[in-house]
Amino acid sequence: MATAMAKTTTTTMRASSLLLVIVLLLVLQLNSVLSWKKDEFRNCNQTPFCKRARSRKPGSCSLVATDVAIDDGDLIAKLVSKEADKGHGEGEEQQQEEEKEPVKPLIFKLSVFQNGILRVKIDEDPSLDPPKKRFEVPEVVLPEFENKKLWLQRVSTEVINGDSGPSSIVYLSDDHDAVLRHDPFEVYVRRKGGDRVVSMNSHGLFDFEQLRKKKEGEDWEERFRSHTDTRPYGPQSISFDVSFYGAGFVYGIPEHATSLALKPTRGPGIDHSEPYRLFNLDVFEYLHDSPFGLYGSIPFMISHGKAHGTSGFFWLNAAEMQIDVMGSGWDAESGISLPSSQSRIDTFWMSEAGIVDAFFFVGPGPKDVMKQYAIVTGTSALPQQFATAYHQCRWNYRDEEDVAHVDSKFDEHDIPYDVLWLDIEHTDGKKYFTWDRVLFPNPEEMQNKLAAKGRRMVTIVDPHIKRDESFHLHKEATKKGYYVKDATGNDFDGWCWPGSSSYPDTLNPEIRSWWAEKFSFQNYVGSTPSLYIWNDMNEPSVFNGPEVTMPRDAVHYGGVEHRELHNAYGYYFHMASADGLLKRGDGKDRPFVLSRAFFPGSQRYGAIWTGDNSADWDHLRVSVPMILTLGLTGISFSGADVGGFFGNLEPELLVRWYQLGAFYPFFRGHAHHDTKRREPWLFGERNTELIREAIHVRYMFLPYFYTLFREANTSGVPVMRPLWMEFPSDEATFSNDEAFMVGNSIFVQGIYTEHARHASVYLPAGQSWYDLRTGVAYKGGVTHKLEVSEESIPAFQKAGTIVPRKDRFRRSSTQMVKDPYTLVIALNSSKAAEGELYIDDGKSFEFEKGDYIHRRFLFSDGKLVSSNASPPASSNTPFSSDCFIERIVLLGLSLGAKSAIIEPANHRVDIELGPLNLRRGQMPSFPTIRKPNVRIADDWTIKIL
Amino acid sequence: MFHLFASHSLEFLSFGLHSKMKTQRLCLLLGLLFLLPILGSASAVSKDLLGIAPGDEKHYQSEFIKCKDGSKGFTRAQINDDFCDCPDGTDEPGTSACPGGKFYCRNAGHTPLSLFSSRVNDGICDCCDGSDEYDGKVKCLNTCWESGKVAREKLNKKIATYREGVTIRKKEVEQAKQAIVKDEAELSRLKSEEKILKGLVQQLKAQKEQIEKLEEQERLEKEKEQKRKKEAEQKVNEERQAIETSHDDKTGVLEDPPVDEHTKEDKDETVAASNASHEPGSGASPHQGVKQENEVSDNTEGLSREELGRLVASRWTGKNTKSQTNEDDVPKGEDHEINEEIPVNTHDEDHDHYASENDVDSQNFDDDNIEDGNSDEEPEEEYNDDSTTSYNSDSEDQADFSDITTSSSSWLDKIQETVRDILQKVNLFQTPVEKSEAARIRKEYDDSNKKLSKILSTISSLTEKLKHDFGPDKEFYSFYDRCFENRQNKYVYKVCPFKKALQVEGHSTTHLGRWEKFEDSYRVMVFSNGDRCWNGPDRSLKVKLRCGLNNELADVDEPSRCEYMAILSTPAVCLEEKLKELQYKLDLMNREQPQSRDEL
Repeated sequence: MATAMAKTTTTTMRASSLLLVIVLLLVLQLNSVLSWKKDEFRNCNQTPFCKRARSRKPGSCSLVATDVAIDDGDLIAKLVSKEADKGHGEGEEQQQEEEKEPVKPLIFKLSVFQNGILRVKIDEDPSLDPPKKRFEVPEVVLPEFENKKLWLQRVSTEVINGDSGPSSIVYLSDDHDAVLRHDPFEVYVRRKGGDRVVSMNSHGLFDFEQLRKKKEGEDWEERFRSHTDTRPYGPQSISFDVSFYGAGFVYGIPEHATSLALKPTRGPGIDHSEPYRLFNLDVFEYLHDSPFGLYGSIPFMISHGKAHGTSGFFWLNAAEMQIDVMGSGWDAESGISLPSSQSRIDTFWMSEAGIVDAFFFVGPGPKDVMKQYAIVTGTSALPQQFATAYHQCRWNYRDEEDVAHVDSKFDEHDIPYDVLWLDIEHTDGKKYFTWDRVLFPNPEEMQNKLAAKGRRMVTIVDPHIKRDESFHLHKEATKKGYYVKDATGNDFDGWCWPGSSSYPDTLNPEIRSWWAEKFSFQNYVGSTPSLYIWNDMNEPSVFNGPEVTMPRDAVHYGGVEHRELHNAYGYYFHMASADGLLKRGDGKDRPFVLSRAFFPGSQRYGAIWTGDNSADWDHLRVSVPMILTLGLTGISFSGADVGGFFGNLEPELLVRWYQLGAFYPFFRGHAHHDTKRREPWLFGERNTELIREAIHVRYMFLPYFYTLFREANTSGVPVMRPLWMEFPSDEATFSNDEAFMVGNSIFVQGIYTEHARHASVYLPAGQSWYDLRTGVAYKGGVTHKLEVSEESIPAFQKAGTIVPRKDRFRRSSTQMVKDPYTLVIALNSSKAAEGELYIDDGKSFEFEKGDYIHRRFLFSDGKLVSSNASPPASSNTPFSSDCFIERIVLLGLSLGAKSAIIEPANHRVDIELGPLNLRRGQMPSFPTIRKPNVRIADDWTIKIL
Repeated sequence: MFHLFASHSLEFLSFGLHSKMKTQRLCLLLGLLFLLPILGSASAVSKDLLGIAPGDEKHYQSEFIKCKDGSKGFTRAQINDDFCDCPDGTDEPGTSACPGGKFYCRNAGHTPLSLFSSRVNDGICDCCDGSDEYDGKVKCLNTCWESGKVAREKLNKKIATYREGVTIRKKEVEQAKQAIVKDEAELSRLKSEEKILKGLVQQLKAQKEQIEKLEEQERLEKEKEQKRKKEAEQKVNEERQAIETSHDDKTGVLEDPPVDEHTKEDKDETVAASNASHEPGSGASPHQGVKQENEVSDNTEGLSREELGRLVASRWTGKNTKSQTNEDDVPKGEDHEINEEIPVNTHDEDHDHYASENDVDSQNFDDDNIEDGNSDEEPEEEYNDDSTTSYNSDSEDQADFSDITTSSSSWLDKIQETVRDILQKVNLFQTPVEKSEAARIRKEYDDSNKKLSKILSTISSLTEKLKHDFGPDKEFYSFYDRCFENRQNKYVYKVCPFKKALQVEGHSTTHLGRWEKFEDSYRVMVFSNGDRCWNGPDRSLKVKLRCGLNNELADVDEPSRCEYMAILSTPAVCLEEKLKELQYKLDLMNREQPQSRDEL
């Protein structure tokens, strides 16, 4: 660039126009800053509620709990301000001129649920006639959650350690109590022994700006750049501190492109940092290391420490949120002393609006917290089998010919794929549910051709509706008044892909139901049963809105302001789209809808991807903590665009990305339309081979992945897990976000640098590990310096596990259904191992009736036993499979045995040496049971002789 | 199970043949005799040898068989036993057990196919004879008969094209070789003429300079006289002197550099100017959405809602923020259009630039244009000139070029004579210089110099031309002076091999690339370094060459952003070897047919 510039400069000078040079330099410079537009987004200082909250001092909360009682199975209280009694207190100087109205009491409600879940709600007292009802986010908490409530019968009162006043204590679980300290007000969970787990307002930072009438001369408007927020209800923010005890690290609160373990944002010795922002935004060319808010928000934080395990805190609130993680010593001057024997991480939570609706999860293990959170917000929907395979996307596959060409090239190169995607250009003028009939004259035929090979298609449906009088959707939405309104009450009109657009108000169940109808085969002309959906831009992205989104004073159903709802807008839209596919298939076909925006509960409606990343090594690297964080906060089915959305990349990076992406729960290649084409076969034979191999690895492990998706569906434990989730007492893993576990059996670490020859890989302690490719065993608890080849990234199977695979490769997962299985048994030091396999029809909801096969494999004492792990099916057409096991590879078994006997058939089979993977070239060999041909559905035992 | 299915299908085949193919019986029988040895093994296509290519069967003869990669071995019983023993798939040619394996289907009546073993029993019919699906999941009909017919017909057509194409190509190759020989002869002749002419010009120059010196002396003397006479008017004289000196300087400059260098420099400057203007032009223009957006991005306050929306959208799309104002739906080619609009301003400049480049090119090669080009500069002098000489150089528009390049050197002789004549006649040491003599020398000098520059430019263009790689048989020689066009909707694509490729839309022209090279053993022409794409690469075009009877450009496409593709059918790539190959393939297909019938 520099040389090119110099050259141009000289020539220009020869042309003797100095002005030209200046313009040229200017343009070049501007060109180089073409990336993240930092100025377009508000920082905390430009966000009044954040600035106000952040400047509060510990101890400034003056609330005390009064009138504590049990009511309707809940513990209730009133929170009143001490100052209200005492008159003006200290710490109020900053609101000098404000003529203090008497502070109205707040209503406090504490409920206890099964599995150690505590819920605390704090809101204004509706009986005191507030100007407006504050927004409670509907349809996030599962309806059945209420059934899990433990009806509190009694409350005990105690004066705890040196407190001046009493605390009310209720039962939370057999091991935990919930404590409400009255004065100063504080809520926390403690173990029966007295140690604290999670607490709220221990630093007295709690603040609740109650709605009030505007005083004369008061200006509530907020301006940012050219935008004005009328803020008709004035300030209404809430903030408080939350402390996690016994914590080494805190995690969660996506979506940020940053490390897994959250770095402190405030405190001594910490560089000035923004808080972690939770505000769904469409950020052009986002940075790979920033607390900046991206497309989705989940205000759920998890803490983990070696001694006390894991706990969690979740604030159900859809307004803009900012969260500080405090560095230790931040409160040195506050004079507040918390139990000092416990290591602790303090955090500070700020939200622009809404109420306090907070959930405390006691753990104690990482998977317990996952489960507890899932009890509140639901587990991940079980995806269809095809959706767990490889997806091929690009903005844009231009026309039917292009689609056919790409499809045939996959076959030509023997690379499997399951889904081909169409981005916005497939539509007629960006009117979703329509087709550009010049480019796609026969969409049904196109989809049917793919379907004949077992493949699916996905088209994009975004929330912005083109304001085009000839567009039936627009006409209908206008007529029915289904659009979000602007502050003046007119249909909100913003700019997005189609130009002037409006947005359906999917907060309203009636509008969601209307929207869902649009996916019927009748309404969506040109759609077929093999067509699924992609929701993009649902933050919502509004090109000419403040911070590229909808103005906060836009109005939704029930008078809800957009500021109160913002982070959940995409969630309701996603919900409506998934419901649409559900209706379309008569409730028999599991929907697949990928969404960019997300909120707690999104896991119930489909997959999430990490948005518009860039084709560079840093973005490859950050994809791992981003996906891990999504998994920790309930969203199991997620991935990053393989190859990176923006920009061109070297084949080496693309290959590395495929090798890593093959282990993402959601595995899709995607690219911006300005990039060079990058389908897997475009980078020479060798790279094609490497990418094919990477995709094959994914297809090989599909049975394992599907079993994990089912586990996530039942338990809330994610498919892709941080190491510490599987090794909660191995401290060396706590902040490791280069490596991860797929389920409990497979360890993967990406290669994040160019021309890597070696990689330092820490294998967690307690077990040894078998290289997935070579079968070579490595010790755990050690950092290995491993040689790295271009052929694979470091990946290992944990000793003591059994992984089911399918080693025959087909065009798509659809053709693999009847193929036989391979089991890989990795023995631990006591020559034992176990594993599971879950199978169902891969598409319907019959599994909910028990129509599935769930096997447990146990190897010990030289015997492999397959037993049923599912309860008896309630359905009268139980799912069955004729699939058999063709090969069993035993890692860690010394070869001696030549045969095995299968019971109950008493059938003898050979044991011989065979490779771990069926691929060309010499590989070390391992004892292999040849053709046991036992049915996967049956009970059997294989005894090694 | 394998046996059952195989024999069943054979029955089916024989039934059909009995009823339909009686007439061909005799030759079929003959064929049967001829093919007996092959049939021996073919009939054994059962479980054992399923999926094995005929040429490969001998590998599977023994009891113990080696994996082809040498990794291990297997027994006969392990062939196609649905368990992968060889990592390379040697033992499982007929099943899907080995991921690396290949399945051979005979497809009697059509072309045999070698499939990835992943296609075996996957529920999709891949072989037209249906042999890849035998587990009963799907029933595949044998369609080789029909599809084979279609394929043979297609192949026949292709062969016919090739046959004719090969002939045309031969002719063209012959012509090209002759033309090149001619060009080379021309070039060497021009070079020798250049030498002579250069000598003459030098002599004339020396003469001219002498004369000018003398004139100068005369003038100075005159001046002195005048000075003495009119001292009062000294200042005026000085001024005049200054003017005259500057005039002299100017002529000096004109004389010095050889003209071809001059042209080159012009060219460079044009390129430089266009390069220089390119970027700032697109940045400074208010219509340049993207770059302008960058400038404005930090100051969006003054924008209307719509402008802001367009501006932010353009980050992802690279589209001009203003261009959509009056546009409703642009279902197709929207990208193109908007992208094309980004460098709108530079387009015109580019256009000019290419046009001027054209002039340079054509000046070099085109007789007409040589004169056209000159006539711009010449007319004034022409009228002043002695009519006969001017007639000579001017009126022979057509002849003139051949004058220089091909025909005898009569004009050169003439000049030589004239010069000799001048040198003899003019007495340089005579002061005052005779006016008419001086004028004559000046004119002769100018004429000769012009001739010389013409020759030089012809030499340089011929050299330039001959530098190119016209292919192993010079089969692309005739492409040099040609452009091929194709219209697609509103765009006209213009491909000029060895020069450039353009996309023209109305008055705006986008440069898709300059000639770079042939690629893929002369099957692809590459044009690169075209106009810049926003956030993308420089435009480029690859033209794939297909055998065809006429030179026709087709299927222009932009498969990847700003990377264009086109197909040019041309006899230049109708190669004889390929023809033989196709014929062989057809022979094979034709041979397969009777064979299948023989199996009854």
